[in-house]
Amino acid sequence: MRKLEEKRELLYVIRTLDVLMSSGVGLEAALHTIGRGGYGIISSDFSAMMKRLQKGKSKGLDRELKDMMKLAESAGYKRLLNTLYTNVTQNTDLVETLKKQGTRMEEERTDEVEKYIEELGGVPETLLSIGMIGPIILAIVGLVPQLMSGDLGAFMSLPDPAVINSVVNMGLFITLVGMALIGLKAHTKDPGL
Amino acid sequence: MIFGILESFNDTPILLYLVVVAVACMGGGIPPMLERRRRRAIENELPSFLEALADSVGAGRGLQEAMKEQSEASDSPLALLLRETLREGHASSFEASLSAFAAKTRSSQVQRVMMLVETALQQNSSLRDILNDLSRDYERLNDLMNRREGELQGRGMLIIIFVSVGLPVLIAFIVGLFAPASKGFQIASFNQTFSFFFAAASAVGVSVSGRMMGRFRDTLWWLPLWMAVSMGLYLGAVKAVGG
Repeated sequence: MRKLEEKRELLYVIRTLDVLMSSGVGLEAALHTIGRGGYGIISSDFSAMMKRLQKGKSKGLDRELKDMMKLAESAGYKRLLNTLYTNVTQNTDLVETLKKQGTRMEEERTDEVEKYIEELGGVPETLLSIGMIGPIILAIVGLVPQLMSGDLGAFMSLPDPAVINSVVNMGLFITLVGMALIGLKAHTKDPGL
Repeated sequence: MIFGILESFNDTPILLYLVVVAVACMGGGIPPMLERRRRRAIENELPSFLEALADSVGAGRGLQEAMKEQSEASDSPLALLLRETLREGHASSFEASLSAFAAKTRSSQVQRVMMLVETALQQNSSLRDILNDLSRDYERLNDLMNRREGELQGRGMLIIIFVSVGLPVLIAFIVGLFAPASKGFQIASFNQTFSFFFAAASAVGVSVSGRMMGRFRDTLWWLPLWMAVSMGLYLGAVKAVGG
């Protein structure tokens, strides 16, 4: 969940940092602006970090950024924090790097959405295969005790109707679980636009 | 006639309860649909609006003047809302009007843009470049969102139609033809099991379809309706075919 939220907000954070720093705002002030809100989980992270820095409970911005890298789950967010850390320790050209990262993030997002659409192409077919074939077979199985009653049933030595009902119920339940598991792909693979 | 149909499902009270819940939920499901349509119309307009603003600002106009001109240039939802907000905000600051406009659109895209524009104004940044960059960013984002919706909408509908409509009717025909109740087949318990299954399968199908299109929460309102449709179609078709 955190990973998805990070990915969703990251590009906007990079763009805002780019705008702020291009107009001459310092790194700490820019981080403070992001921390004021509007960027979901990244705002919460930056806000907590700035509070610690302001209270003097921290060993410095570089240490805070380093610690936050451990907390970050998405590769893009880790990369951004690393860029900020490098800027703090080595005075790099942050604006230029942010611009490049923004472009790269955007390309990655496009690729991920295209991949998502492609991957979900097979979901309806798989879901319908399981969701339709299973119940059709189970419906026929469930009707067998009715259709083959009397002498034919005795000749075929059919199981007890209660057993058949249990098999049908279990089969339908498994079908439902299977459908839900296939559908879960739509959730887990979501690139988060 | 309606009471006659409803009475024929007296032995399945859960279907009747579901119908009542579905009708109530439809009231909750329509506003998010309309709201979404309005919000997407505003968001799709945003890139061209930003581009026009960038041009005006580049030509030497102030942002406030450029926004006023753009709001009067068309009758699109975005322009109308902006015109209304600027008109209302004659006694407040321009920044306050921008914030009010962003809040009124209820769009995270517009709110982010306005926040960035406000920051740029406070920092005296080059608005033209920022607006141009934002225009390009949001054009690409909206293209992606529209593409995702366009390509996945058909697949989502396919799932709903097959699981909630096709499957119950198909199995009802099989049951009605091979084991008609009119000929003494005892299929009450069988029908109950399968009607519950179709309701659950519809719930799964509709949820998956909603998630695919990225509007799971909005789709939840329609869940009881599709569950009731699925159950009703199965039980109705079994009665119609098998007597």
